[in-house]
Amino acid sequence: MFTPEAKAELRRQFGLDDPPLVQYVKYIGSLAKFDLGLSFSTRRPVINELKERLPNTMVLFLSSFVLTTMIGISVGVYTASKRGTFADSFVTGAGLFAYAVPSFWIQLLLLMLFGYYIPILPIHGTMSAPPPDGFFLQLLDRIHHLILPAGSNVVIAFGSWALYTRNTMLEALGQDYIVTARAKGLHEKTVLRHHALRSVLPPIVTLIFSALPGMVAGAVITETIFSWHGVGKYLLDAVMQQDYPAAQGAFYLIALAVVTCNLAADVVYGIVDPRIRVGEGGAK
Amino acid sequence: MSKNKTQTKIGAPTFWEQYRRKPLGMVGLAIVSLYVFVAIFAPYLTPYTPKEILLADRIAAPAWFRSILPKFADAPSSVRISLGSQEWTVSEAVGGGLAPAESDDSPLSVIQFEPFVRDEVVSEEEIDVLEVEEYPKEPEQGVVTLSYTLPYNYSAPKTFGLTFNYWIEAPSDSKTELEFVIETPEGKRYSLWGKSVSGQLANQPARIDSRDLSLKQRLGMTIFDDPAPRIFSSRGDYSLLLIARTIPGEEPTRVYISDPEFYIPGTVHGLLGADHMGADLWTQLVYGTRISLSIGLSAAAISVAVGTAVGIISGYLGGVVDEFIMRIVDVLMAIPDLPILIILGALLGKSVWNIVLLISAFAWMGTARLVRSQTLSLRERVFVEAAKASGASDAYVMIIHILPNVLPLVFAGMVLRIPSAILTEAALSFLGLGDPRVATWGRMLHNARGFGAFTTLAWWWLVPPGLAITFLSLAFVFIGNTVNEILNPRYRERS
Repeated sequence: MFTPEAKAELRRQFGLDDPPLVQYVKYIGSLAKFDLGLSFSTRRPVINELKERLPNTMVLFLSSFVLTTMIGISVGVYTASKRGTFADSFVTGAGLFAYAVPSFWIQLLLLMLFGYYIPILPIHGTMSAPPPDGFFLQLLDRIHHLILPAGSNVVIAFGSWALYTRNTMLEALGQDYIVTARAKGLHEKTVLRHHALRSVLPPIVTLIFSALPGMVAGAVITETIFSWHGVGKYLLDAVMQQDYPAAQGAFYLIALAVVTCNLAADVVYGIVDPRIRVGEGGAK
Repeated sequence: MSKNKTQTKIGAPTFWEQYRRKPLGMVGLAIVSLYVFVAIFAPYLTPYTPKEILLADRIAAPAWFRSILPKFADAPSSVRISLGSQEWTVSEAVGGGLAPAESDDSPLSVIQFEPFVRDEVVSEEEIDVLEVEEYPKEPEQGVVTLSYTLPYNYSAPKTFGLTFNYWIEAPSDSKTELEFVIETPEGKRYSLWGKSVSGQLANQPARIDSRDLSLKQRLGMTIFDDPAPRIFSSRGDYSLLLIARTIPGEEPTRVYISDPEFYIPGTVHGLLGADHMGADLWTQLVYGTRISLSIGLSAAAISVAVGTAVGIISGYLGGVVDEFIMRIVDVLMAIPDLPILIILGALLGKSVWNIVLLISAFAWMGTARLVRSQTLSLRERVFVEAAKASGASDAYVMIIHILPNVLPLVFAGMVLRIPSAILTEAALSFLGLGDPRVATWGRMLHNARGFGAFTTLAWWWLVPPGLAITFLSLAFVFIGNTVNEILNPRYRERS
């Protein structure tokens, strides 16, 4: 297989000659500088490969996130005002469904439906190869590729947001100040949007931010199914090829994203609910 | 006795009396019971095992498609015929025949030819009398044809195949030819295989597969032609012919044919069709129940047991221990669970036990937090103080006084933990990190994605495993919520 010289050269190249502890300290030191080492399979710096993929992941993640929460909250508010109707029981069902159904299965079904049975959407990748000419066409092409991955994320997750919004809204709608608002003769829409929704938004926003880490982790599956050229797929590919530096790098990036989301959740929690802000006259 | 009975009736209803009044809880229980039944009696619910392959053509559709979809109206199901000595009929026998079988179901057929005995040189007068043609100069060729009638009333199959072993006992001056021929109902003959042997021959396997290039060449087809649909293009009685020709020597010639099996893989198969290896999908679904149930239950039990123990210790002891444990919990909760499971799963090796341990290792923190907060309030209660005052040790108080009081909470939490364990296992198997030796629902979906369910539009491969996972998870959610409603009315909001 290898000559001893080639072996030694490889070991030197990947820094495997040092004792494990020294390797570890070096590794931690280079992590801080975002030096994630060389990929075993491509021999390129892992950070460069991640840099290529990060924008794709961000696009998919942000579009899924924004669409899911917006649709989920609107549907929740709507059904809260239509209690007992078909729409209401639909949302209750969808919320329960979102908890019990394997998300990757829904994505597979959607992929088969819109990619193969009714082939109107691209089945893999972030853009066509070769990409079309012109910026505008390229943008359209990318959006075309985004519909299925982002759309499937919305289908999977909007139910739980809608259900949570509905339940908190229903609680709020039973409060005295709502009765007062209605008694004043305000329009029902105004009551819903400006009185009820305003008061339930803080817990919802908090929950949204605390669910962010889960969505980041779910990117691995979504990207794998739709062959999305992103960090999550890179992680799985690296794991499958036993490309440890690449896997470590991708995991490091994902963990960093999760920690950032957690931090954001804490900050937002403090903003939307000033009662828990720490430091100003003690907690709570 | 009677007094006791009335007392229980007046007192608070038992758990079961409350539970059975909740329709959703009962539905959940019924579904789970059904799954448990399927898991236990899996071998009786299917004639195959998950490891049996080549039961049908690759990605065969469910057999009941024949009655509802015109496209499959007369699709073939698998035809597999073992041609023992009893199955053959001798349609032609010159200078030999089929030797009597050793037993009724012997897989071995022996074709025997008479030896050729040279006449003694006769006297000159007799030669003068004989016509030239009648003079037995050379041995005549003996022919034995074994035939089997195969009624075939389906549309054309994609492939077919034949396997058998053969050997020949013959004198060295004999010459034997073997040939396998399929005759269509129209009388067209396709010679699929042939072999010419001088003298004797040791045991040889014969493997005929309609996809073989050599077979296509033998039939005069190009590599892009497909022999199976051409040969089986019409309906009716096909004849499978095994022809042996020999120029006999001075000893008898015997041709042995053992275990011949003719196989047309069906394009429809069983309840749910077949996968890319021709394995039965219904069998995989049924056996997958065992894995999902056992992984879900054991991972939930382990994680909740660990979480409860950690939570009680942390909450009861407090101080530095509590602080230390809770920081570990914080760190573990911040780690994205699916990515770390993927990495560790690949690193530790693919086995069911590893998956259970990994899922449990990253699922106990929630329980620990919940139990800790409950323990914090419990340890201030009077009964704990009383126990301590009478000299109970910490361990005693934790096990005898705290544990029973957190159990209701823990029990409902455990039931609600099962669906997420099942879903996580399915996701890992789907990504290809499951145990490759066992059939699981996640693995079925992995295979469906990787081996052509999409390009063949085989939705019947994709839908059942997902439905199975969904209904099982839903059932445990129903049960967990109902248990929570009964045991922990104050925590209803949390579920």
